[in-house]
Amino acid sequence: MSGRLLWLAWRNLWRNPRRTLIAMTAIGFGYTMLLFVACLMAGLRQQMIESGTGLLLSDVEVHAPSYYPDRPSHLTLGGRNGTDASALLATITADPRVQAASSRVYGYGLVSATHQSVGTQLLGVVPDQEQKITVLQTQMVKGDYLTGKMPKGAVMGDKLASTIGVEVGSEIVLLAPAVDGSTGNDLYTVTGMFHTGLDSMDRGLVLISLASLQELLRLPPGRIHEVGIKLHEDDITATMTAAGALEVQLSKVLPVRVRGWPELAPELADYVQFNRRVTFILFFIFFLLAVMGIVNTMLMAIAERTRELGMLMAVGMRRVQVVGLIVAEAASLVGASLVLGAALGFPLLWYLQVHGLSLGGNRGAITLGGVVVGPLWHGQQDFTAYTQAAAGLAVTALVSALYPALRAARLRPAEALRKV
Amino acid sequence: MGWQKGNLAICLGLIWLSLGQVSPPANDQRAREIVDRAARLFLSKSSIATMEMQITNQEVQRKISMQFWSIGESNILIRITRPQQDAGTAILKVGNKSWYYLPKANRTVEIRSSMMMSSWMGSNFTLDDLVKQSRLTDDYVIMATFEGQRDGIAVSEYTLTPKPTAAVVWGKITLEVRQSDRMPVRQRYYDENGKLVRGLTFSEYKIVSGRPVPTRLVMQSMDKSGNKAVEETTIKYEKIIFDQPISEDIFSLKNLKQ
Amino acid sequence: MIGVLLLVKIGWRNLWRNPRGTLLTALALGLGLTLLLISLCLLDGSHEQMVDNAVRFGPGHVVIQAHGYQDSASAELLLPAGVVSTTEEFLHTEASKHGLRGMSPRLLASGLLSSAANASGVSMMGVIPKQERAVSLIPQRIVEGNYLNDDQQSGVVIGTELARKLEVKVGAKVVLMTQAVQPIGTEESDAGGGEMQSTLLRVSGIFRTGIQAIDAHIIQLPLPEAQALLGVPGRVTQVAVLLDREGDSLMVARDLQNQLTGAPVEILPWRESMPTLAQSFLLDEAFNYVMNGVVLAMVGLGILNTILMRVIERRFEFGLCLALGLRPVQLAVMIIGESLALTAISLTLGLVLGLSAQHYFATAGLDLRWFFESSLPSALVFDPIIYSRLSLVRIASSIGIVFLTATIISFYPAIKAARTELPDALKVF
Repeated sequence: MSGRLLWLAWRNLWRNPRRTLIAMTAIGFGYTMLLFVACLMAGLRQQMIESGTGLLLSDVEVHAPSYYPDRPSHLTLGGRNGTDASALLATITADPRVQAASSRVYGYGLVSATHQSVGTQLLGVVPDQEQKITVLQTQMVKGDYLTGKMPKGAVMGDKLASTIGVEVGSEIVLLAPAVDGSTGNDLYTVTGMFHTGLDSMDRGLVLISLASLQELLRLPPGRIHEVGIKLHEDDITATMTAAGALEVQLSKVLPVRVRGWPELAPELADYVQFNRRVTFILFFIFFLLAVMGIVNTMLMAIAERTRELGMLMAVGMRRVQVVGLIVAEAASLVGASLVLGAALGFPLLWYLQVHGLSLGGNRGAITLGGVVVGPLWHGQQDFTAYTQAAAGLAVTALVSALYPALRAARLRPAEALRKV
Repeated sequence: MGWQKGNLAICLGLIWLSLGQVSPPANDQRAREIVDRAARLFLSKSSIATMEMQITNQEVQRKISMQFWSIGESNILIRITRPQQDAGTAILKVGNKSWYYLPKANRTVEIRSSMMMSSWMGSNFTLDDLVKQSRLTDDYVIMATFEGQRDGIAVSEYTLTPKPTAAVVWGKITLEVRQSDRMPVRQRYYDENGKLVRGLTFSEYKIVSGRPVPTRLVMQSMDKSGNKAVEETTIKYEKIIFDQPISEDIFSLKNLKQ
Repeated sequence: MIGVLLLVKIGWRNLWRNPRGTLLTALALGLGLTLLLISLCLLDGSHEQMVDNAVRFGPGHVVIQAHGYQDSASAELLLPAGVVSTTEEFLHTEASKHGLRGMSPRLLASGLLSSAANASGVSMMGVIPKQERAVSLIPQRIVEGNYLNDDQQSGVVIGTELARKLEVKVGAKVVLMTQAVQPIGTEESDAGGGEMQSTLLRVSGIFRTGIQAIDAHIIQLPLPEAQALLGVPGRVTQVAVLLDREGDSLMVARDLQNQLTGAPVEILPWRESMPTLAQSFLLDEAFNYVMNGVVLAMVGLGILNTILMRVIERRFEFGLCLALGLRPVQLAVMIIGESLALTAISLTLGLVLGLSAQHYFATAGLDLRWFFESSLPSALVFDPIIYSRLSLVRIASSIGIVFLTATIISFYPAIKAARTELPDALKVF
């Protein structure tokens, strides 16, 4: 029986093609808009996260217990004996969630060129590895990023460079307390300068190769402070899950504490959450708007068919079947509309992800925390949101058809027939 | 940590100098005199010294040998002679300015005084003991608190309590001196909760340039319970000469580089 | 010959032939406008709030500091004496015009804070508690003890990370050591430049902002005490100004610039004093812009849908009118008139509902926590309650756009109706 009902329902829709098409366009377009918004919102979150983690933080950091946040130089991974860094990296990158990993050594000391000295953070990296997890190399304003070729090369923030009066090619002294208590010092050559817009980096960071920082701090090669990790998916939940899993896994090999960026940069996490919540509210509002359109359509359509329904009942259709028929019609209508909406939407979504939405003509490249973000706003597919929206719309349509359907079914056929 | 330990000598010297600036309260004049004298042990018009410093903490054990020159409190030069990897490193302080000389890089680096302070974070000594000078004259109230035998030695103990507005972090400091010659034996630093934070011990007394001085000083930093030492620094003076005329030229950047 | 006015009157009466239907439709459309209003105002509110939160941890919406400070952050670059009072006077007389929430003069320098257990480098801020409270968020994030009192001569508030490192609690002794400053531009005479100064402070309160850099390095103490320590009585480094609306930042900065011409100062709106922040919010603003567009599109769609449906269902009626002699043009005008009337009613309904909702959200705010649990090791840097912001310009333009859209949209069905083919339309079935 229900099979026939559905068929009947479907045919009913097309008896008045114009009305049906209008309704379908309305609902379908509403769905397309929801897809559009969801895609943009996901893209926005993604870009915010990239901007916060792309320069230095990376997605996940692995430390010896108690190392963070004070970062005392002697607390290396694996304690005083250090660890096999390449084995550790291999274990980490074996995890399918991990995109890349990189070893790092940290120090804090003075940098000086002529005589003035300035306190600075020192970071020792392996350039090939590091460039896979962060994007500082894209922020160079003068000279070049670190390469393997120049072991005593150094890269620093542009503001720091101007404070101590150096240019590319200048010689600098780095002074730092070594782990054995002595004063580590050595000469380096400035190979490049970066500008990130973040004072903490532009004014207070010098990058040198991992090996040369280990040498400066009198750390043997096996001792590193941190492994930085970039994940494939770095939204808040995915990151925290990955961090937790990695901690469990790595703890079997050596004592570690693994932290995701939401823990390392809680203000960024807060910002992302805040944004997500606000956009959720908006999504909800859009949803309401779409829903209203549907309800309105349904109500009107059914109200206008009172006579027709009365006639159906007069010729013997049971009330239950009448209600069923209307609900089936609503279901088919919504189904068809969603398909239409999705069909219209997917090319748009594809375009958003690949090309992005222009943020307004005159702006040049917009960098957000060092990550070039503008002038295009890229979308990101959020299939959960898409399905949720579809489900919500479908349910609403069905429910909104139910009320007038029940009303109509309760009429006495004779009365219904008299309506003009 | 290197430059912190490297500057320990300055710290020690100046602490003693600074303690010497304690001003007399109306009460216990005698106590003040005794403490004053004890504090001024290393204060002189000039001093030249060779010393060895040993640092022991949870991470490392290190021994440094250095030479030390000073005129009053304002001009200080330290040159490290051993171990080999640090030999030649020198620190110069003239008035408000300080410099580091690094032989490996053959460079002089000026350290703004505030930088120099921040390098001493986490060291055995807190900086607020250090650059006190005139400010300290009103900082402590001194009272005699014990007379008797301790560890087989007859000592007098004095308790120094900071005045309410004194810019010191300590809750109190106690100083034990030998009754026989008023040489300091032990000095203890307590925080406001009465917990022992660090302790300084003196021994191996010798007569130098006509005055008695302890030539072995051990500074210990206590752990959170106040019972166990977690860090210890020992300074042994191999040779000290006081009040020998020193040329001011020594305290120059040029001299630093040698 | 039926005049336009009469047509419109008929259109109006048409609406009320089916009062329930009309009201329902008007309600539906009106709700659309309500939702439009709510979303626009909430978006504005949340944007405002994000900027607010960010600037309140830093230099405020507008900052006045010595020329060159932004670049060098040198402690010697102080505001010329007199700038503060001029600024204060100016801002207070113009207060209502500019929507001033507060202004706070501050003396900034770096130093070393020591306790019995440890020592740490810090960035110190000498502030006037009453004024700082109106500008900064630190006074509101006290977790232990109290913020500085207005009549307190001496005291300091530090962050939780710093308290942990120094192993101190409220009431503990700490010593702040810093270098006396020789302000650029003063004569040598009595400036104690370069000398180390220290002072005893007792921890009045401990704050937690959630931002590591702030909790580990920022301390605040009474301005006179800071000035005495640094040897610069009466001088400050910057004046931070907090406004009601971030949109006023540029204007206020410009006005201040005019007021202070000739003085060697730089007056920066937040976009210039915190350029990275400005970049972050660019995306947010773009987002707002797009969202506005989407909402308008959806509302427009709703209108189109409604009007079209109405027209389609009344083919019989229109056929009848035409058969009875109404000219197609007149029919079109009548329909347009109906649509406009309907839109007007909807707009009124929507506006009333929208403004009341807006008022509710503006005062009570929308607590985001209803919708989500905080599952993060959260800093709660951001206030979880959003307050709605009414911008008359925004409302007026939205109403205008909706009305315009409705008018344009109603042309299509009106024309379609006018072209109703007679014999077909009159068929009942």
